[in-house]
Amino acid sequence: MKLRVQLQCKNLHEYLRELSPEILDRLYNHPATCLAVYRELPSLAKNYVMRMLFLDQPLPQAAVALWVKKDSQKDHDECVSVLAGLRLWHCQQLQGGLQGYILNPVFKDNLRIALLGGGRAWADEGSTLGPDRHARDIDSLDRYAMERWEVILHFMVGSPCAAVSQDLAQLLVQAGLMKSEAGEAPYITSAGFQFLLLDTASQLWYFTLQYLKTAQSRGMDLVEILSFLFQLSFSTLGRDYSVEGMSESLLTFLQHLREFGLVFQRKRKSRRYYPTRLAITLAAGVTTSSTSSSSSSSSNLASTPATGDAGFIVVETNYRIYAYTNSELQIALVALFSEMLYRFPNVVVAQVTRESVQQAIANGITAQQIIHFLRTRAHPVMLKQTPVLPPTITDQIRLWELERDRLQFTEGKHAYLCVCVCVCVCVCVCVCVCVCVCVCVCVCVCVCVCVCVCVCVCTSLRNSLEFIDVHG
Amino acid sequence: MASEDEINLLVIVVDVNPIWWGQQAQREPEFTLSKCLDAVMVMGNAHMAMTRTNKLAVIASHCQDSHFLYPSKSWRGGDSGAEDASSSGDGKYELLSIANNLIAEEIRNVMSKTEVRGNSTDTLLAGSLAKALCCILSIKTVYSFQHLRHVIKAAEDCALQYMNFMNVIFAAQKQNILIDACVLDSDSGLLQQACDITGGLYLKIPQKLALAQYLLWVFLPDSEQRSQLVLPPPAHVDYRAACFCHRNLIEVGYVCSVCLSIFCNFSPICTTCETAFKIQLPQMVKPKKKKLKQST
Repeated sequence: MKLRVQLQCKNLHEYLRELSPEILDRLYNHPATCLAVYRELPSLAKNYVMRMLFLDQPLPQAAVALWVKKDSQKDHDECVSVLAGLRLWHCQQLQGGLQGYILNPVFKDNLRIALLGGGRAWADEGSTLGPDRHARDIDSLDRYAMERWEVILHFMVGSPCAAVSQDLAQLLVQAGLMKSEAGEAPYITSAGFQFLLLDTASQLWYFTLQYLKTAQSRGMDLVEILSFLFQLSFSTLGRDYSVEGMSESLLTFLQHLREFGLVFQRKRKSRRYYPTRLAITLAAGVTTSSTSSSSSSSSNLASTPATGDAGFIVVETNYRIYAYTNSELQIALVALFSEMLYRFPNVVVAQVTRESVQQAIANGITAQQIIHFLRTRAHPVMLKQTPVLPPTITDQIRLWELERDRLQFTEGKHAYLCVCVCVCVCVCVCVCVCVCVCVCVCVCVCVCVCVCVCVCVCTSLRNSLEFIDVHG
Repeated sequence: MASEDEINLLVIVVDVNPIWWGQQAQREPEFTLSKCLDAVMVMGNAHMAMTRTNKLAVIASHCQDSHFLYPSKSWRGGDSGAEDASSSGDGKYELLSIANNLIAEEIRNVMSKTEVRGNSTDTLLAGSLAKALCCILSIKTVYSFQHLRHVIKAAEDCALQYMNFMNVIFAAQKQNILIDACVLDSDSGLLQQACDITGGLYLKIPQKLALAQYLLWVFLPDSEQRSQLVLPPPAHVDYRAACFCHRNLIEVGYVCSVCLSIFCNFSPICTTCETAFKIQLPQMVKPKKKKLKQST
């Protein structure tokens, strides 16, 4: 029985910490990256960075430790470790022999440029090209972005109408979201199911991370791509930008982004592009974890791009789900863990049953993901009550999951028992010999018995028995 | 992390009294109004760079009236919709460069167009504060948010505005708005009271040239971080009231029992609520009538 693989959605800092120091230093050469990294820091660390931004000399560590009150010493230590892990500041020896902190000079210069000006422009605005005759407004950009993103999700669910490029299909396979047998069309894996139930911002970020991982193998420069991505996330919605000065690999990347729905370009050779709302919220999706807390004000950005309105699912205490949507994708997602009862032009009625939930769990989805899915797409009427979902439903889904979780595996222990057994054998033999000296038969019997016992125990242990803990 | 609906609004009220700044330019040519505004813009940029949901407003407080330097157009068109102003064409974050350009343009308009009439040389600080308060409250009805702040940079004080000032301070306290004050020249009792009552920070800057550093180090952290950081301790506050008739600060005075307004001299009718006070006059001593002796 294979164990379930949990979908890990890393955030920006964890991703950056995995990169090598040289790549990090090259990354900090762009003001947009510095600003993005700065925004993700914990608030106390942001204040530290702001204080040290305009200092050219290192500050003694003792002085920095005095900035916080005594009760917040733990926060101080956490900030120090975060800043050191991201290589934002280094330890340096001061003149008096004390240890001091100084900001990474590349990071410092570029953050100053982002705040105060100077240096190269991030991207050419479309002003050099003149006004666009085919300008798009924000609503059409939103619709375009959602269309493109939903095509990808449709493809994962297996709708026949969805068709994506070879590149994208391969990316999905490499990300572990789909699996493809030789010559056949790819089909979805359990990780893919979990991916589908996440909110749009987390989905985007996970997808982008997977893309970045494969970037090296495609011959693209990771630093360039990341800088461009951060620059996109700081652009203004509704404004066009020019492709002047972008290298070949960046242009290829732009085409991929066009396919994901992150930018809009009228034609492949068009010289201007419009970032869509998905690109701008990409950096925002980085901070929210995939299992957000049950606050009633779940961000509208998560649910708005999905259906164009905020939330559409009503969950009742009799285990019925009413989904006010006619989007095939959303209906397919709801059908993943519930039984469809009725279907109307604008509403779909489904029932959450034991069989349907356990079927979903067998496919690799967790109860927490189902609950998160329901919560993030909850209808505004549901959002008015606390807690948003009825506690009976959430508890029951978790209980149904626990019903399948009755076995726990632990590694078997075998090393030291063999030694003990050997010792026992020796003792036994000696004792037998001493006691029954005259009676040869007795000695033989004793020895034989002990040896047999020893042999049996050793062989069974050598097969690394796993102790199974059964709870009813 | 803060959810998307939380907005942290920072309103900076800058005192641009032309008389004080003119004298200041003669005293210390290195620190002029433009340098002061540069420091304010640095702080505004730092605040907006912190998170996506931080917003900024800047008000200039003049002798005649107060103007909004940023944002000059309607508030709701925040980040959606293309801005008409072009960015500076360098490495600055687009949003910040638009804000900075707007502020620079507006302050030039304000300083060149507003005239100073002879008798009013004091800054209308209470008026600017009230405007800022209205701005904050108008946003409060649209979004839901947690923290608001006010940073004031003042040059000199005026007792004539005592009443209006105190009203604004108490209104801010009711709405949980923090008022911070950063004073350049002389200590201001009114601002000290404001900071003490609302829970903000008061600082008199020893070196004007280092204004940006003081702003970033002391006033940038929001209220959550202020509880963690070590910041300048509160100063001793002068809580003397000002009398309603002459606006002098007094320690002993007369208080109307109906509306609690304070006077330094006795007057038979309260000017605020028009209650007449009954005065107890000393009793007239009646001469005793002598009994006539009856003759026998």
